[in-house]
Amino acid sequence: MSSFGFGLISAAVLAIATVGFTMQFAVTNVLNLAYGSIMINSAFVTYYVNEHGVNAWVALIGGVLTGAIASWVLNRFVYTPFQKRNLAPITVVIVSLGIDLMGTFGLQAIVGGGYVSFSQNQGREFHFAGLLLSSLQLIVIGICAVVLVGVHGLLKYTRLGKAMRATSANKNLARNSGVKTQFIISTTWLISGALCGLAGTVFAMNAGVFEATSAQLYIVLLLAAMFLGGPGEPYGAMFGALIIGLSTEISAAYINPDYKDVIAFIALIVMLMFRPFGIFGSEKTN
Amino acid sequence: MSVELSKKGLILSATGLAAGYDGRAIVSGINIEATPGKVVSIVGPNGSGKSTLLKSLVGVVKVLDGSVKVGEKTITNMPPEEVAKIGVGYVPQIDDVFPPLSVKENLEIGGYLLKRNEIHGRIDAVLEFFPKLKVMMSRKAGKLSGGERKMLAMGRVLMLSPSVLVLDEPTANLAPIVATQLLEEYIRGFADFGSTVLLVEQRAKAALRISDHTYVLGGGRVVLEGAPGDLQNNPIFVESFLGGGAALRAPKE
Ligand SMILES: Nc1ncnc2c1ncn2[C@@H]1O[C@H](COP(=O)(O)OP(=O)(O)OP(=O)(O)O)[C@@H](O)[C@H]1O
Ligand SMILES: [Mg+2]
Repeated sequence: MSSFGFGLISAAVLAIATVGFTMQFAVTNVLNLAYGSIMINSAFVTYYVNEHGVNAWVALIGGVLTGAIASWVLNRFVYTPFQKRNLAPITVVIVSLGIDLMGTFGLQAIVGGGYVSFSQNQGREFHFAGLLLSSLQLIVIGICAVVLVGVHGLLKYTRLGKAMRATSANKNLARNSGVKTQFIISTTWLISGALCGLAGTVFAMNAGVFEATSAQLYIVLLLAAMFLGGPGEPYGAMFGALIIGLSTEISAAYINPDYKDVIAFIALIVMLMFRPFGIFGSEKTN
Repeated sequence: MSVELSKKGLILSATGLAAGYDGRAIVSGINIEATPGKVVSIVGPNGSGKSTLLKSLVGVVKVLDGSVKVGEKTITNMPPEEVAKIGVGYVPQIDDVFPPLSVKENLEIGGYLLKRNEIHGRIDAVLEFFPKLKVMMSRKAGKLSGGERKMLAMGRVLMLSPSVLVLDEPTANLAPIVATQLLEEYIRGFADFGSTVLLVEQRAKAALRISDHTYVLGGGRVVLEGAPGDLQNNPIFVESFLGGGAALRAPKE
């Protein structure tokens, strides 16, 4: 039962991260493998702001801004120039892998190799639907719910969100309709980057102790959750995160926890055999 | 009846135009003009560069030489979003809707440049025009039939009351009756109202019936042009497009 609780919290953290990741991929057409390193960099910004005596939940804003700005800068000065050169899409993926390593080990060079933890405890514990949850965990679930409802509302009801979905579905046609897709894409980097920073901070808080390389394999879970739900599908991301979060934590309780990422990929591969576009996904035109 | 939907037209013209992909010209030496109140059509075999030409007019494909003008304004290589803003509505041959978006959302994106409070009334006007779309507003565009999809694609560009309509094979894959209705009622109707219509149509006979002027494209160049009456009496044209001959003709798959 406790592994179910762990799974639920991991799933909530993963859902926040995956919603940003899948939005980024769908709208900007960049599979940004540096997402994990931006997460952990953002977490460290929150950590240092917190260390300077700012309440962790306020310091979180620093992490969110870090994610947003880093992602925007990365797109503006690295990915866009590469995309403009009309190279094969895989080129940008490889570049992002390089950025990920630089981001992670650059951070390690600055903060050192040791583990750190937030100077606040997990808070009171609550019994909730048969589960024992700390107040931190309840807050994580709350943040996850707010993010999911917020992203749903953004995509479904706002002019910006509809333009984001139109850009994702058919960029040229969006431009023919008067949508400044370049602006929409930049804005998407800011929003998805903010979610990345938020996810990174929450990930680190939930982990308790963390270090520069803690999120290095997180991209595996992100890819699994995104493709499970169907790329570009926020509800799919939610669902994929739940499946991956629960299956990895529950399996970790029975098998060796080191195999977590392997379990995530097995779940993904099994699913891809039956539904290549993900549970919620459908073919899209470009 | 098409009346309140489009605006009085502007002249759309291309002079000495060359355009293509990766710096390689597919069409070249193109001089064409579409004028208000007229349907001007482009016919030609598959691969002759009709779509490439239209795309270069609306900013989707790079113009390598020559110029494009709308009214007094030069729009050569203007970004597509700006071209939309000055009143040129373009319906591409393929990928003409946003499949994952609902019919209503497709129309809303069509009206992206309108003020927030104008969009609703505008959708109603477009629905008056294509009443069949009314019952499928929440359906995803990707799930529509070919004919419904084309109506939506047309409806999308009408959201901005274009003064120039650039249409790439709007009747492809439509049942003959629907195709005829689209051409003779709707598309002819826009021109009769005073808008400018530039139309690519693969069925030469149908194109001539509604056109005021027709250009024939072959191998990326205008090889023939004229009023329908002239072309109908031109042996080369008849041989290639109207008769059974095969000179310029390539089968449509
Ligand atoms: N994106 C592209 N990149 C490179 N070449 C292209 C591209 N699109 C089209 N072409 C080439 O340009 C030429 C003209 O194609 P285009 O689509 O303009 O012809 P078309 O007259 O519209 O044909 P159809 O009647 O089949 O629609 C073709 O040889 C085609 O292979
Ligand atoms: Mg074509």
